[in-house]
Amino acid sequence: MSQSHDAVLSQAAGAVASLRDAIGHVIIGQSAVVDQVMWGLVSGGHILLEGAPGLGKTLLVRTLSQCLDLKFSRIQFTPDLMPSDVVGTNVLVMDPTQRAAGSMFAVQKGPIFGQIVLADEINRATPKTQSALLEAMAEHAVTIAGTRHVLEEPFFVLATENPIEMEGTYPLPEAQLDRFLLKVIVPQPSEDELCDVLTRTTGREQSAPPRVMSRESVLQLRALCRDVAIAEPVVRYAARLTRASDPSAKDAPEVVKKGVRYGAAVRGAQSLVLAAKAVALCEGRPNVSFNDVQKVAKPALRHRIIRSFEGEADGVTTDQVIDALLAAVPTRPPQVSAEQKAQA
Amino acid sequence: MAKDQSFEPLFNRWASRVRRRLALRHMLTGAALGAILALVPAGIAWKMRHGTLRPYAALTVVGGLIAGATVAYRRRWNDETVALYLDGELASDEAIATAVELDAPSDDTDPAMRAVVLQSATSALGRASRKQARPTWLRPVHLLLPLGLAGVGYITRAPLPPAPIVATDPGTTKIQLAQVDGLEKVIKLAQLDPRDEAQRERLEKIARDAEKLKEDLNKGLEKREAQDRIAKLKEQIAAERLTLGDGEQRAGLESAVSKLEENDQTKQAAKALGDHDLESMDADMEKLANSREKQDRDLAKKSMQDAADAAKKNGAPDVAKALEDEKKAMEKREKRAQGLRDLADAMKQEGIKNDGVQSQSEALDRKGTDDAAKKLSDAMGKAMDKLTPEEKKRLADRLRDEAKKGGGQSNPEDLKDLADQLSTPEGQKKLDDELKDMAKDDDEPKESKRQKGLDDAQGGADGTEKDIGKQKGQQGEGDQQGEGQQGQQGQQGQQGQQGQGQQGQGQGQQGQQGQGQGQGQQGQGQGQGQGLGLGSQGNQQGAGSSGNAQNGQSGGPGGHDVGTGNHAGATNTVDADTLKARAHGHINKAQGMPGSITTTAQGRAGGTANVRGSGDLKVVGPSEVDGVERSDVPQEYREQVRQYFQP
Repeated sequence: MSQSHDAVLSQAAGAVASLRDAIGHVIIGQSAVVDQVMWGLVSGGHILLEGAPGLGKTLLVRTLSQCLDLKFSRIQFTPDLMPSDVVGTNVLVMDPTQRAAGSMFAVQKGPIFGQIVLADEINRATPKTQSALLEAMAEHAVTIAGTRHVLEEPFFVLATENPIEMEGTYPLPEAQLDRFLLKVIVPQPSEDELCDVLTRTTGREQSAPPRVMSRESVLQLRALCRDVAIAEPVVRYAARLTRASDPSAKDAPEVVKKGVRYGAAVRGAQSLVLAAKAVALCEGRPNVSFNDVQKVAKPALRHRIIRSFEGEADGVTTDQVIDALLAAVPTRPPQVSAEQKAQA
Repeated sequence: MAKDQSFEPLFNRWASRVRRRLALRHMLTGAALGAILALVPAGIAWKMRHGTLRPYAALTVVGGLIAGATVAYRRRWNDETVALYLDGELASDEAIATAVELDAPSDDTDPAMRAVVLQSATSALGRASRKQARPTWLRPVHLLLPLGLAGVGYITRAPLPPAPIVATDPGTTKIQLAQVDGLEKVIKLAQLDPRDEAQRERLEKIARDAEKLKEDLNKGLEKREAQDRIAKLKEQIAAERLTLGDGEQRAGLESAVSKLEENDQTKQAAKALGDHDLESMDADMEKLANSREKQDRDLAKKSMQDAADAAKKNGAPDVAKALEDEKKAMEKREKRAQGLRDLADAMKQEGIKNDGVQSQSEALDRKGTDDAAKKLSDAMGKAMDKLTPEEKKRLADRLRDEAKKGGGQSNPEDLKDLADQLSTPEGQKKLDDELKDMAKDDDEPKESKRQKGLDDAQGGADGTEKDIGKQKGQQGEGDQQGEGQQGQQGQQGQQGQQGQGQQGQGQGQQGQQGQGQGQGQQGQGQGQGQGLGLGSQGNQQGAGSSGNAQNGQSGGPGGHDVGTGNHAGATNTVDADTLKARAHGHINKAQGMPGSITTTAQGRAGGTANVRGSGDLKVVGPSEVDGVERSDVPQEYREQVRQYFQP
């Protein structure tokens, strides 16, 4: 049985690697972003992609949908977008069997009923519309005209937002940001990556990436991710990290006490562990390591830490806060750390 | 949920390996700290001069080992900690820690996933080599172990510091005298032929006290106590000297003295008798007898007999007996001297030359003392041994001729007996023995012997007192003795010695100054005295002036008061019987004043206020002129008394 599980783990890691390779055919560079998207996909969480326009956010999501045998839908959020435009609505339609008086209401499902949903520039819609999406993200179900419709699994939302054009936008409130498992920052490509992008995208149009993973495989991966073992010291480490992000905590670093107004909460810790499990699974390991937690700390916590006025004034970013947390919170007990330090 | 059979033993082996090394490190750390801490007790033991305790300071190393083992046990890593350490060292991504947790029976992880985790952990442990995951048991702090042990070793072998100089109370210095010759003379008092049973007991008590003091001095005794006890001994001896003619016999003694004083030629003897100095009296009388012809000798014997009769008549039988014994001894010595002179003359007339006999014979004629007679006896005895039988026969014949002619100084019967002795070998041997006996004959009267014995004892006690005064403190005791010697010597050197100058010649101090390392420096004595003339000084216009001298110059005696000033403030006559000056170490804790101990003494029998005596306070009369001046009262006492009575 262990042999089969070992094989399953290997297969999962191989599938993720195949998916990453397939995406890599289209997306040049941005391997960290791709990995984080993989973690979100495997763990069953939603991802908020933040980056300047033109960095390939939408392309990444579209490529992912092409590689997966899943139903893809895209919602371009605008200020006049209505919730019904997202979730769908009842419309009056003619009943073909009753021609004269035969009109009736039928559910017109919105784009939310896709399996991979791209919520492009989510911060441009009004909070009302945003909350319609967030409800679906949290509950994997929508209610249209009093009728609850369960969304088809796997349901994977990837939202994007533009951090520079803030005019006329509606920044997501903290409670809604908390719904996203990871917040992925899409960085500018390096010179080599940019050259590669230019070469590939300005020539002949390339063929679509292959579908490398079926819906069942994705569901299997998500189930397997929950089975990944995690030792108590690692769990405690995740808990200590989360608690240390709270400025009222006794062992919070100085930068947290000064620059943070609210830290991560329980959902943040859950995201941390779940994403770490995904990391382990993606790497084919049956257990979570400290390193896995540290890898996912920034994407899992950066949108859950609310800076204080002093922190914003000082220009302290949430990533700097998380760096300080990682440096301040030890992974192992002090005696083990001291021993390893002495040997080093 | 069955336990994984391969992971657990493998992990346990690794865990015990890790724990052993950690325990070893803790123990070494404890031992190293113990070694450093050992320097403290070792240093203290060195400082406090407990040399033998120094090596035991290293026991703290053992204590450190035990403490280290205790700490290692209390801080023993549990399985989870060991697993985390192994994960960190083997880079196994916490597979071992997860496996340890999943290995617990209560874990509800999916069995399949659990098996994979255990397999992963087992694989990680199996791949690892010992070098990859073993805590270092040697730390820089462990260098303190050899350093500390070396330090303890160094302190153990280092010479102890010099003993601290401890100031002792004056007079409490312990002295130790191995040889106390002076006390031997006091001890011999027990062998004296006593006058009566009471005197025997007193003499034996003095001897016992002296014996005890000698033993204590051999063992070691506080200086002030030794001084006190020797002073008491001297006091007892002095009192014993004065028991002749004491009490009820006092009047008889004074009568005898008065009788002797009637004759100008025996006044000196009278004084000697008054001083209880029978030896001196005997010498004076013998001298008087030898200086005069036979009539004088008879006169001397008669005077002595008169004195004895007077003493007996006035109730002093002891004095009378002593005087009669003196008379008999005088007669015996007279007879012996005559025989020796006759024998020497006979040898001279027979031409038998012997330088020893000749010279001693001349000395006897010149001095006429008993001592000269004894020496002649000795020389004669030796000469007799060398004489041939023929010479002896000639000598015997010569003596017979002299006896017939009535020549010689001895009576004819004595001369004839002497000749007969020389005629036969048996007689010659008897004569030889008699001569030898004569040479060492102790014909002193018993009372003279007693007085002489007491004199010897007094002298011995004086000598012992001086020895005690000079005696320095003992060296350090116990294991400090060897190393404390120099410091003690230095201390003693600082105490120095104080001498006492003679009256009017200043008071000298001769100090021996020691320094820290015990190299004493002989100080130069400096005379710094003040003579004091003790003349009576008139209150207003006294003509007498007190002499005053600086730097060793003698102050002259003050003149008699002839002034017309008011004498109302004069002090009363000092009664000698109640005048007491006593130095007791127990009373005065300070170092004893230099000089001898002054004790009580009765006035001299027969002495008057207008007689210029020659004794000191012990024997001088209460109002004898200049008696105080001649006494050996220390200068400090004089000055103190003078200031006290100064108006």
